[in-house]
Amino acid sequence: MHSNALKNSMKKTIKTCLLCWAVGLSLPLFAQEPPNTDAVTRKNSKEDDFYRMVTLPVPEGILLEVGGVATLPDGRIALATRRGDVWTVENPYMANGQQPRFTLFASGLHEALGAAYRDNALYVAQRGELTKLSDTNGDGIADDYETVYAWPLSGHYHEYSFGPKFAPDGGMFVTGNVAFGDEEWWRGESRVPWRGWTMKIFPDGRMEPWATGMRSPCGLGIVDGEFFYSDNQGDWMGSGGIFHVKKGSFTGHPAGLRWTNLPNSPLKLTTEQLYASVDPRQTRNADGRYIKPENADEKTPNLLFNAQEKFPEIQTPAVWLPHGVLGISTSEILVDQTKGGFGPFAGQLFVGDQGQSKISRISLEKVKGEYQGVAFDFRSGFQSGVLRMNWGYDGSLFVGETNRGWGSAGTKTSGLERLVWTGKMPMEMKTVRAMPDGFEIEFTRPVNRKLAEDLDSYTGRTYLYKYHPVYGSPTVNEEKMPFKGVKVSADNLKVRLVVADLRQHYLHEINVDGIRSEEGMAVLHPTAYYTLNNIPDGQKLSAAETVTKRPVQNSMVPKGKTPAKATTSATAKTAANAVAKAPTFDEVKGLLSKHTCLACHNAEKRQVGPAYKDVAKRNYSNEKIVQLIYNPQPQNWPDYPAPMAPMPQVPKADALKIAAWINSLK
Amino acid sequence: MKQQVRRRILIGIFSIGCLSVYCQNQPDFPLQTVPLNDLSQFKAQDGNWQVVGGVMMDRSVDAHHEEAKGKKPEKNKKMAVTSTPGTGILLNMNDEKRKSQLTTTWEHGDIDLEFEVMLPKGSNSGVYLQGRYEVQLLDSWGVKNPAYSDIGGIYRNWEKEPGKIYMGKAPTSNPAKAPGLWQTMRISFQAPRFDASGNKTANARFIYVELNGIRIHDNAEVPLPTGGPIENNEKPTGPIMIQGDHGPVAFRNIRYRTFAQDKVTLSDLRYDSYEGKFAKAGDVAAAKPVSSGKASALNWEAARREDAFAVRLNGTMHVPTDGAYLFSMNMSGGGALSVDGKKIISQDGNANSWDAKTGKADLKAGTHDFSVTYFKDVAWQTPALGLFVEGANLRRQPLHSMESFANDGNNSSPILIAVGGAPKLLRAFIDFKGDRSQRRTHTIGVGDPSGISYVYDLKTGGVVCVWRGGFVDATPMWNDRGDGSFRPLGNAQYMFTDQPLAVLGSTSASFPTEYKESEFRGRGYKLDASGRPVFRYTYNGMDVEDQLVPDEDSRVFTREVKISSAQKPANLYFKLAEGKDVVLMPDGSYAIDDKQMYVRMLSAAKPFIRDGNGRKELVVPVENNTVKYSIVW
Repeated sequence: MHSNALKNSMKKTIKTCLLCWAVGLSLPLFAQEPPNTDAVTRKNSKEDDFYRMVTLPVPEGILLEVGGVATLPDGRIALATRRGDVWTVENPYMANGQQPRFTLFASGLHEALGAAYRDNALYVAQRGELTKLSDTNGDGIADDYETVYAWPLSGHYHEYSFGPKFAPDGGMFVTGNVAFGDEEWWRGESRVPWRGWTMKIFPDGRMEPWATGMRSPCGLGIVDGEFFYSDNQGDWMGSGGIFHVKKGSFTGHPAGLRWTNLPNSPLKLTTEQLYASVDPRQTRNADGRYIKPENADEKTPNLLFNAQEKFPEIQTPAVWLPHGVLGISTSEILVDQTKGGFGPFAGQLFVGDQGQSKISRISLEKVKGEYQGVAFDFRSGFQSGVLRMNWGYDGSLFVGETNRGWGSAGTKTSGLERLVWTGKMPMEMKTVRAMPDGFEIEFTRPVNRKLAEDLDSYTGRTYLYKYHPVYGSPTVNEEKMPFKGVKVSADNLKVRLVVADLRQHYLHEINVDGIRSEEGMAVLHPTAYYTLNNIPDGQKLSAAETVTKRPVQNSMVPKGKTPAKATTSATAKTAANAVAKAPTFDEVKGLLSKHTCLACHNAEKRQVGPAYKDVAKRNYSNEKIVQLIYNPQPQNWPDYPAPMAPMPQVPKADALKIAAWINSLK
Repeated sequence: MKQQVRRRILIGIFSIGCLSVYCQNQPDFPLQTVPLNDLSQFKAQDGNWQVVGGVMMDRSVDAHHEEAKGKKPEKNKKMAVTSTPGTGILLNMNDEKRKSQLTTTWEHGDIDLEFEVMLPKGSNSGVYLQGRYEVQLLDSWGVKNPAYSDIGGIYRNWEKEPGKIYMGKAPTSNPAKAPGLWQTMRISFQAPRFDASGNKTANARFIYVELNGIRIHDNAEVPLPTGGPIENNEKPTGPIMIQGDHGPVAFRNIRYRTFAQDKVTLSDLRYDSYEGKFAKAGDVAAAKPVSSGKASALNWEAARREDAFAVRLNGTMHVPTDGAYLFSMNMSGGGALSVDGKKIISQDGNANSWDAKTGKADLKAGTHDFSVTYFKDVAWQTPALGLFVEGANLRRQPLHSMESFANDGNNSSPILIAVGGAPKLLRAFIDFKGDRSQRRTHTIGVGDPSGISYVYDLKTGGVVCVWRGGFVDATPMWNDRGDGSFRPLGNAQYMFTDQPLAVLGSTSASFPTEYKESEFRGRGYKLDASGRPVFRYTYNGMDVEDQLVPDEDSRVFTREVKISSAQKPANLYFKLAEGKDVVLMPDGSYAIDDKQMYVRMLSAAKPFIRDGNGRKELVVPVENNTVKYSIVW
């Protein structure tokens, strides 16, 4: 009784605080919390404490394989589905204690993968056209299915079309997937005009080919009135990322270049010009059959920004989303327009991921006229693949889900969830900004100054992905990122890190595991992935301004954390004995997560890739498994939707240890 | 989304349907044709059966009017059936005196039989296998819930005594066509089995029956003779009997293949089992087995592991009769078959188990040495070894034991779309005439609650096909990733893929086959009050509306194309149909493509028949801004 009463009173306090936040008052939250202890840290380190998922009840018999989410001005939402239906949902917020009500607004569409509302009509992209759906007789059901613009298709299964997103001028952006070859089934190809392209379509039926280089452009977004899209790893796409797509730009996949000779093409770069400089590796074996290109171990791998120097049409990602870490099949791009209703990230971007069933967060900045920025993990654990997102009127986020045929970490095949900010302030890196000599990290809560001034609280590395015709890419040209100095702002909210050598175009990964808030909260997602397309000019910090020493001992480094160096040598030692004695899961868990294996695999059950238990059944030798990590053979696993990307960056000792563990699962 | 390795596997699964035991086309063993130059294949009859060269049945005239009752037709009275002399068509014109059944001079047991049949309005006939098991023939055009008594039904008997009553079996759907059109039936029949003392050990069985390309029975046993048999008993063989006393009926292209009951058997089986990775059958022969011994059946069991193995099985094959035999082998991995030391099948390297490898051998009746080699170095597939044999008079039979080759095909749950109380619309790709290379990409299926459906091509303003029965099978689109296509759930009557409305430079100019964005723009469709779509497009500045509605008791579609444009260009034509031929029928409609469907004009302009692409086209000039006609099938 007594303890319950206490809990209740605490609940009340929290509720009150929630209200404070909701009305935008800035109060010293948690000021009365007990001093930092591990217990408090752990308690506060769950995503669920800050962003809560509400699964919407869906009437039996309705299959919500969501392909599009639109918010209507009257508070309803509209959901377009892969089954070709459009449902309007009354009261998706479940106000008045009432369940949402579903109305079939339209049906019979060809795999609708997008929805946008404008002027009393819903616009949806079907496989072969952009359609305007209107209710002309006022019964709440569409009776006019008007073709705004139809584009050609070859009829290949992979020719999905996505969108639309409205540009400020009323034009609508629609993107189209490539098909794949018949013999070269691994090679994306554009069989008819505008596959692998972005089109801009106006309500009067005009179509402007906008840009090409797209492979699987599922995610569309408008940021600052500019068009952005997300692609995921595949042939020519080393990893997922988001691209700023200017008119006439080329984002890397060559298939669509086939149509740059058409009169209305905004770019003139030809396939031949590109292939003269980048080898498409279309070679045949003795029988005249094409050989599937595999990852090669080049000394100087080809990179997209290298090609950009020759072909200025090339647009590199504004932000890379490291494959397997921040997703494997990126989807919707959505700007936080809630002005704080969704928490401290107003103006930032959220990017969904189908395969990993999660959402990443991106903060953009413009340096030397180009977008770049930082990506973080944000929220995982959705019930199915996150395909579409849109804002509700209360600042909550509707998440439309499907995974049929594609596979996802979330095990349900489809559904609709709503992500609601609890009002609590998470301890996060709010943003990371590029500086002439390093980075500035801004936190959501003041940091413990002593830890923040300790250079051992930070680790970092830099790397990039290849630009080649192979499916996916390992991380390449990896280097450690040594921090030379740190300066903490007076309000303890910002930290400037001085980096010895910034590498333009590269991904800079910064880990702040050692940082705590003033109250002792660990950073919920302690890794930042900054894509440094340009290094800003300006004043560098002088040595006098920064702290450059590393304290000999720091009692506040959390227990169980050993310095990176020690881990490496321990791994090497263990690896020598790996074959003799199979390691336990606990012993390999760290490796599996470090090398992003767990992004797609689980020990016991099928996820995006096969269960390790099923790999063990194949009776591969440990050596063979290592080979397969470096050069996967997706044809060995025909029942799985996504091929594995080669992972030669995994050190052999680690790979052997993982292999020994996998084989112990037999 | 992500690239799909699975694609190739899916294709494999979808094609299993046609590589499996029962539905393989057999050019190796063609069917025998019943020559219809005369009636020499049939026993004597009253004269109601005759051989003719052409037949025309007026679908508007009931077969049971006076003419059929032996009375002289009145002058100008419409005739249900007219014929022209010649050969190739078997026609029954019975009256009250002449109404024999028609019986073959030969008898059969197990048989595959196919034929084309034409019935006038209201007529009734039937084909009795072994003279005892009747598949009903009836003008069942448009019947919604077919019974045993409708076309394709296995007829009932009229016994009263419990235990002797058989109530027949209704076809699982009704793909019947309109009176006067040719319909195709395929029957695969297995005779009842008897022991040495003549006791029945297995019932007669329809392995399958297909009407107009649609399966209507699969694996249906018939425990007793159906009504009106040649004799009310069951025998190992009997003649084909065709009913001739219930109205006119015509047949052509009657073809069959009979089968003996003797099977190929194996004996004295021995195995050698090998471990390791093999790439060629020859390498296995040279290797040393890890174990050898007697085998109880032809299977891969002796391997005792899932991969990196080889097995060899040797023994004696007993062949029932002299002749050519076709062997086919299914394996995940590689292998070989030799008979009497001669290589019949050889598969080096990996094959997929659904991809049968075949070889033919001329064998004498009696015993032969045989050897089967199977090796597997393909970890991701489960072991599978199947061996089938087929002869001119031997139904394809497995020689392996059941567990050795699990031919489970595609067992994902089908996604069948039904039409409810309102019209059902669904967009998908459709493969024209089932041909993937003729895939249409901007097509929409429209299912009418009355049970008839069509597919409309939004890129040409053309009707792709019409059918009756269910709506569509969306499994190809919605199972797994899918390929974006659906299939009509019924016997689809395909039209053509050209753009039907066109300005032609001359009356012999072709209709456009390619979509020209500058000339033709689809505008989508509006739903009318009943929920039926009105399609809209612009062509050369003209706004066009196009709608199909059910007509004639919801058995046909009437289509009206309306041009709302002040100025109509000259030389505007509309293509109604195309086919091998176009024939003007007595009722003023046109029979298309060797009597596969009709077009019946409702607007005033007179169509004309012309040549186009080696076929005949039915074309009408557009007058009064309207083209209106019915599609009858």
